[in-house]
Formats: sequence, C-alpha cells, structure tokens
Amino acid sequence: MAKANMVRILDGSTFVVSEDTGDIEATPSEPTGLFSFDTRFLSRWVLTVNGERLNALSYDDLQYYQARFFLVPGMPTHYVDAKLSIVRERTVGGSFHEQLIILNHDEKAVDLEIRMDAGADFADLFQVKDEILNKKGEIYAEAEADRLRLGYRRGNFRRETVISSSQAARYDRNGFAYSVHLEPNARWSTDIDVHTAVLGPASQDLRLDLRVPSHERPTLQRDLEEWIAAAPKVNAECEELARTYRRSLVDLAALRFSPLSLSGQMLPAAGLPWFMTMFGRDSILTCLQVIPFVPELSRTTLRLLGSLQGTRFDDFRDEDPGRILHELRSGETAAFEEQPHSPYYGSVDATPLFLVLLDEYERWTGDVALVRELEQECRAALKWIDNYADLVGNGYIWYERRNTDTGLENQCWKDSWDSISYRDGTLPPFPRATCEVQGYAYDAKVRAARMAREFWDDPAFADQLEREAAQLKERFNRDWWVEDGQYFALALDPDGRTADVLSSNIGHLLWSGIVDQDRAEKLAEHLVGPRLFSGWGVRTLAEGEARYNPIGYHNGTIWPFDNSFIAWGLRRYGFAEEAATIADGILSAATYFDGRLPEAFGGYNRELTKFPVEYPTACSPQAWSTGAPMLLLRTMLGIEPHGGHLAVEPRLPVGMGRIEVLDIPGRWGRVDAFARGRLNLHQLST
Amino acid sequence: MLDATTRFFEDLDRRGYEPLLTKLSGTLRFDLNEGPQTRHWLLRIDRGRIRVSQEAREADTIAATSPELFEDLAAGRENGMAALIRGDMTVIGDIRLVVQVERLFPSPPDSREPRRIFHREVY
Repeated sequence: MAKANMVRILDGSTFVVSEDTGDIEATPSEPTGLFSFDTRFLSRWVLTVNGERLNALSYDDLQYYQARFFLVPGMPTHYVDAKLSIVRERTVGGSFHEQLIILNHDEKAVDLEIRMDAGADFADLFQVKDEILNKKGEIYAEAEADRLRLGYRRGNFRRETVISSSQAARYDRNGFAYSVHLEPNARWSTDIDVHTAVLGPASQDLRLDLRVPSHERPTLQRDLEEWIAAAPKVNAECEELARTYRRSLVDLAALRFSPLSLSGQMLPAAGLPWFMTMFGRDSILTCLQVIPFVPELSRTTLRLLGSLQGTRFDDFRDEDPGRILHELRSGETAAFEEQPHSPYYGSVDATPLFLVLLDEYERWTGDVALVRELEQECRAALKWIDNYADLVGNGYIWYERRNTDTGLENQCWKDSWDSISYRDGTLPPFPRATCEVQGYAYDAKVRAARMAREFWDDPAFADQLEREAAQLKERFNRDWWVEDGQYFALALDPDGRTADVLSSNIGHLLWSGIVDQDRAEKLAEHLVGPRLFSGWGVRTLAEGEARYNPIGYHNGTIWPFDNSFIAWGLRRYGFAEEAATIADGILSAATYFDGRLPEAFGGYNRELTKFPVEYPTACSPQAWSTGAPMLLLRTMLGIEPHGGHLAVEPRLPVGMGRIEVLDIPGRWGRVDAFARGRLNLHQLST
Repeated sequence: MLDATTRFFEDLDRRGYEPLLTKLSGTLRFDLNEGPQTRHWLLRIDRGRIRVSQEAREADTIAATSPELFEDLAAGRENGMAALIRGDMTVIGDIRLVVQVERLFPSPPDSREPRRIFHREVY
C-alpha cells in the first residue's frame, strides 16, 4: 500500500516516486524509484550530510513534473536548532534533474561531507511489487572521473542510468560525494543530472529515434501553459468545481506520453504509477470523456491504435486480425516474452470502442479526413466483431483467452479474476460475454453505419450495419433481461444462462443506446437506488450480491470513470435528474482528494463514512479518473453537437450554482456554454 | 526450397501492393549481418505500393538484425516487436516503418484461431 506522504512527479512515461524527503529506498511494499519506459532506473537515492539522514520540513509539488523539498539535519525535535537548510528541487522530463542547495545559517563556517547513495535494480515495472531475485542479466556499476554509470545487460537488452554533477564530485560504485566548506550565511549548490538510456547493442540510445521535443524545464512550462490556454475555461460559482477541472486538465497534460512507435506524438497513458503505459481501453475511454475540452488527443490515439491493430493469430498475445490492442509495454518482461505485452490484445471492448470514438470525434471536430484515413481499420474492426469475437455463434462478443498462462481471464473493463459471477457467487465457465460490450458493439455498428453512408460512400454497407444493429438490439433485450430483478444480466455463459447479478454495467448499456425505451426507467431507478448508489456514486456491484464487498476491486467499489459514463447514459435516455445526482456525488467526492479523483473508492454508504474511502492500491492520477469530471460537466451542461453547431441543454443541481464554459472547440469554431443550478435533487435514501 | 526470408521479400515484391502500408511512404533497408557479410533487402514503399530489391543503397530507415533472427521472424517463430524492445533488432531512422512492416510477418506456426463453439444459430 502506497504511503500517503509519497511524492510523485511525472512527465509522460518517466516518473519519480519518493518519500517526502526526496529519498528513494525501494522495497516491495514501498515501490519508490525513478521509472522510465517500464523500467526502474533508480531504486536507491539517499542524501546524507555528515553521515546523517535528513528530515522534511515541507515539500511542494510545484508542477506535475517538478517538486521541491525543504530539509534539515537531525530529528524533528531539533528543528529550532537547525543551522543548515537543504533544498532539493527536482524535475522530470526526458531525464531526471535535481538541484541541491545548502544554506549555512550559522555564524561559524562549517565543513560538510555531502553524499548521495545511488543504486539501480532495473526492475521491470511488473516486478516492483515482488522481491526481486535472480535477475537473469547482469547489473553493473562503473565509477568514472566525472560520472557514475549504473547498468543492466541481458543479451542485447541494455538499460543505463548515468549520473553527473555540475560541481566536481567523487564517484564510487554506490554513489557520489562532495566535501564542502561553507562560510557563515553562505550558499552552495549543485545540479545533478540523471540520464536514463535504453541502449541497443552498439550502445546507441534506441529512443534517439523518437525525435521527441526537448523536455527541458522551460519547454515543459511553456507546453503546459499552451495546453491550458488551448482548453476551454471553466468559471464556476462553486470554487471546488473550478479547481477540480483545473486539476484534471493539468493531470491530463502530465499523463500524455509518446510511445516508441509514434515518433513524438502524444496520447494519454493510463495512470501513475502502475499503468504509465498504453492501454487501448483506457486511452479510448479517456479520449471520449475529454472530447469537448481536448479533442486532439483522440486523433493521436485513434491513429496509434489503428497502426497497431492486429493482423494475425497469435495465441501468446491473444491477437486476431482487426483486434485493437489492450496493452503495450517496453520493459524486460515484454522484451523476453515473460509477459505478452508486445502488444497484448486480450480485450474485447477496445475494438468496438475504437469505432465509437472515431465517430464521436468527427461529430465534434468535423475531421472527415481522419474518418476516411481509418476506413480500412474500421472495416477490419467490424470484421473482428462478427468473425472472431462471436465464439458461440449467437451474435454476441465473447472472450476466452488462448494464452492460459499470462493472458487475462476477464477481457472487459472489470478485468480481475472474480469480477463476473452468478447470484450465488460462483464464477461462470468460458467463453463469457458481458453485457456492456454488447452495447458497445451495437453503438459501434450504428455509428459505423453513419460513417459508411456519409464518408465512405458505401450506403449498402450502412444499410447492412443498421440492420445488424437493430437485430442485435432486439436479441439483446430478449436474452439478457432479468425478469425477477428488472435489469440486464452482467454476463452470459456459453449455455445461455445469465450471470444475473445487479451491476454498474447496466449504466453503460444506457450510454450505448441498446436499451429498449420502455426498460430504461427501471435501469435508472436501480442506478440511483439504494443497492447500487452509495450517496457518492454507483457501486460496481450491488449491495446484497454474494460477492459484494465495499472494497472489492470490481465487486463493490465506486469507479469515477464508470460513473461518468453512467451519467452520460442516463442523460441520453432523458434521466437528467438521475445523471445530475451521480455527477453531484462524484464531484463532491473529488473535493476530498483535492480535485484529483482516484481510480476507485470504497462502496460504503455516504451516511456511514461521511467521506469517500480511497481504495488501498488505487492509481492516482489515473487517466480515466482524470477525465471523469470533464465528462460529468458535459453531461450536466447537456452539450451535444448537432450538425454544424453545439446544442446546450443544462440540467444542474441547485448547489452547483452558476457555471460557464468558455471557448468549447469544435466544427463551430469556439462557443460558450452557460448554466445555472435549477434542479432540486430528491433526497435519495442512502 | 527457398528460405522464409527470401520468400517473405519475394512475396512482397510480387504482390506489389500491401493495404496495411497505405499510410506509409519511404525507403526501409533490412541489413542482415553475419560476421563480415551483410545481406541487404531494400523496400521502397509509396503509399502501399512496394518494390523490393537487394541493393545496398541509402535508405530513410535501416533495421539491422542477424539472418537467423530474421528467418525466425519471417517464419512467424519470433515476434518483431519483442525483438525491437529486446535490442535484437535495431533501427536507425523512422521506427514506424519497421513497426508497420513487422505486422506483415505471419502468425506463429502453432497458433490457433479463436476456439468457436456453435450452440445455436443467430436468429
């Protein structure tokens, strides 16, 4: 479990997690370190002055890529006597940079021995929570006159950390040291550069080919300012809402990264610290959430996912032709095929969601060129849905992993092993089909039909897709309805039996539009009813189900991202009040996390805990949690593209006061949306 | 009988057009190094149209590997992305070209299609 006082800074796929002193001493339970490209490049980074560890007075996260630590020697009780201050200011952005400043407050001169212990275990991101034993390659350390080189070599796989300093230092294999004489009230400083290298056999850095713009501090600062300036402004009477929006925008900037295969273009990574990599599902859903605010992320994501779409059958990677990837990593376990992430394709929702995102993106931006550019990928994705995903031959998307060793059992967003169950808590056999994925497939076909008719000049294909979508909707409403509960089952087993638990997935069905109009009201009642709704949000699994557990990862916790799509779905079917209830709950929860929503929090009743209980190992910031406030804003404001213009139909709860969103970009140029809270939400029983 | 490497490139040349490469243009040279000997395969890609030759001419992007590894890639026994991450295939130039051509390598020989169990007809 991550300690609350850990400090994290990041830029794309490089990040540093440390203690509040800035020190790094990695252990399996405290997986701190400097990470880049799925590898830990520093596992030890400990500063001492005259052999003494330092204590933190305070630290500031200045920017997402920058932090500053104020330290003193000695124990906390000696603060008042401190004659020395030590400031560590660090930045990530391509490499890791730390400025060390020492101030002597004494009236006497002092002689100091300043030392930094440095070490690297080069753990794969996948291994950092384990005791790292028996690394198959060789770890080496070389102290040179002006630098310390820490490295790892396994065949041609090489990773290196090179440490150098602006002030002359004495380097040894375990760190480096300075002897400093400081006059009264004098100041000493040094700049330490930690360069991480992904090396090829001829020692060239494989990432040099990335042509990533320089990530020096002024560039990062300018880039962030431009990013914020380009996004719409949100002015809100409710200050917390404005803060949450701003926090989301900055975190989203931090989570952008540039994968090896895209030559410097940016897309959202999934989240810090465990998912600083590309996920098909997470990237697509995040893009969908933020389209009204930063539509350009979608273009990059769609292009990249299209360029890595599956082309063959590969059991180890669960790859099929036309399938959109699940996860791409570049660490040691992927390199040596101990894990299948090169890339791994075991997800059944990324493929239909790829189509959904492309259509939604065009509706906002009018970027017809991209819809034409990706026609071939769309057709391959549709073919995958019909040919390779329908394992039972009854017109649904199913999953069963072929990589039974390291592949994923559950290939939907609730991907933990026990997330899909019958009412008695037992787990269904494979293949399995989950309900929300059928909704995505329906939506994908409806949207692909529009694209085929309007942009691909193929009306016959459009007719066929619409016919298939209509049949799917009819079939689904018949096969998945749980009569005695009046909702849709979570999943279907290969014998046609329903996993008939009540789950948050029914909200995604509303979003997709697959639900018959006369059944929507029942779903809306469930979603804000006492079994699913905690007062903060909708639980992944309803209270009363056998596997319900308020801190069960996918069996009772509340996921902000999940809730944002549920709210969108409710609004789509006209349940504005229910949507506002959920938006209000999640945005209230955000204020307890300084505007930064975690991946998940406990499903406890709001009345019981009074504050949202963070799920123990939740990722934060995480892309789709970061996107949730933006989608909730869209939902409450009722902003929707209609032909060439943007329609606004706000339904805000009274407590939200007045909100204005200025300069919403799109095919209309830039427009503003204004809203005032007028909805009196029912007091829901919690 | 031809080796998988030659077959891979000759097939590509014979097809002359590869839909998976329609978004790409550029020259890509594979250098298969073995001691002092290097075999070159040069791909000229113009929005999906391909010409293959065995020239040692300059190219926008050069991918280097051993002939054994390339043989395994061309036969589907090894995976190109993993080889890139491992450093067993190195690239100078635009890595996107290599990542896209990698997708043309065949399925692993022992791979199965998804297991289908047909219970009922779609109706």
